[in-house]
Amino acid sequence: MKALILNASEDTPEIIFNPGENVFKVSKISVPENALEFYETVLDWLKEYLQSPNKQNVFEFDLEYVNTASSKQLIQVILSIQKLSEVSDTSIKWYYESIDEDMFALGRRFQKLVNVNFELIEV
Amino acid sequence: MITNQSNSLFDIGFDLFRRISNEDFEYVYRGYFTHNITKKILFLADTNIQKVTDQSTLQKRIYYIMVEGLQNITRHQDEVKDHTDDYPGIFAIQKNGDQYFITTGNLVLNDKIEALSEKINTINSLEQEELKKFHREVLASGSISDKGGAGLGLIEMSRKSGNKLAFSFETINEEYSYFYLQTLIPTAKASENVAVVDHMQHSSLTSIKKLHQNLNTENILLYFNGFFNQENLLSLLSIIKGRMNMPLTTIKVSNIMVEMLQNIIKHGVQAMPNIGGVPGVFFLGQTDNDIVLTSGNLISPKDAHKLKVKLEFVNEMTVPELSEYYDKVLLDFELGDAKRTGLGFSDLRIKSDRKLRFAFHETNLGYTFYLLQTAVTIKN
Repeated sequence: MKALILNASEDTPEIIFNPGENVFKVSKISVPENALEFYETVLDWLKEYLQSPNKQNVFEFDLEYVNTASSKQLIQVILSIQKLSEVSDTSIKWYYESIDEDMFALGRRFQKLVNVNFELIEV
Repeated sequence: MITNQSNSLFDIGFDLFRRISNEDFEYVYRGYFTHNITKKILFLADTNIQKVTDQSTLQKRIYYIMVEGLQNITRHQDEVKDHTDDYPGIFAIQKNGDQYFITTGNLVLNDKIEALSEKINTINSLEQEELKKFHREVLASGSISDKGGAGLGLIEMSRKSGNKLAFSFETINEEYSYFYLQTLIPTAKASENVAVVDHMQHSSLTSIKKLHQNLNTENILLYFNGFFNQENLLSLLSIIKGRMNMPLTTIKVSNIMVEMLQNIIKHGVQAMPNIGGVPGVFFLGQTDNDIVLTSGNLISPKDAHKLKVKLEFVNEMTVPELSEYYDKVLLDFELGDAKRTGLGFSDLRIKSDRKLRFAFHETNLGYTFYLLQTAVTIKN
């Protein structure tokens, strides 16, 4: 399947979903006013990927800022990853800066809401 | 005014907002000026100027004068380094009708006052043609190596603005004074009457000095009064990053700022749709224990009640209760509106770990002025 590569803009994250290299990463900042629009592409891609996924997938989230509008979409992304975990060996790595307790709290919240191997990693 | 609590930082919000009218703006930075902050201030001011004028010559002139003004601050800052924490400098850009004002205020040694005054008085005594000549002479004399001490920047500021430089000194103690310098840049539409211009400049300089005093008293680090949009939010965020010398607190403040400013953008009345922003005021104050964030903007009166209900709902819950509610909303995908997540206030309350403070104030414009305040405990 074709990779989904979205370059970071000043308020949307960099997305690298590349099955060929087995890299799945969301990074930088996510504070758009209209998060629904931005994440639609991401969710559509995941839906299709679910049809023929790699045997093993590690999704990495390494974000600096996340607004509530994005959280609402990120939980959907994470729920899609949960679905993926039902058919393949899938896990999530959530990175947070040691001094950013809010980013830790958000990861912790997501971790509790889903049933998938979800690791919180301090950087 | 309906308010659940009150303090001076809170009351100052409405007074600040009332300082300017809709199509105008006022941006004030108070603190230490680093290279990075200077860059961000320029960017923020420049994007806002571009929104309100398409006269590119004017834009360039303003930009140039801002650069000179900021360089002036950093130069003086180096001379008084040990004292800038106690007496932070100020940079202000204001648009007031057809005039732009750029004002800098910074600490100088008292024994520099005479030379500085003399330089500016000389520049002010010259007409445009003479200034040009003077500029060439100063350049040729080669005294620029003296850290720009020849006053080339000042000459350029006067030349680019086409106006006299207004200045004033406020004594702080035996050693130091604040040096205020103001340039007025008229738009093509502005009055050319010399007496009118002089009067405007004088009253604007007085008002900025008063504002600086208030900001010093209330320990306000950053104050932005103008139109809010995504672009300004991002610029303000990066200024904050460089402003505070306490990483733990800064991250928390930034995280809260994102929601707070997007709350303005979301609920605010778009009084000037062509500018692409919502008029509002935002400032950051520091008290002994907290960094206090205050936002204020106009909303339609029918939204005031709805907001009040939401805020009270969020305030009545404990943080664990609210956290549960947050999860529920997060998973409620029926809420289709991309911009209204219903999570903003909960997020602010959880992140700041305290009740949100708010007030609504009827204005005679048919809108309601809405103030929101929260704070972050300072941790180092």
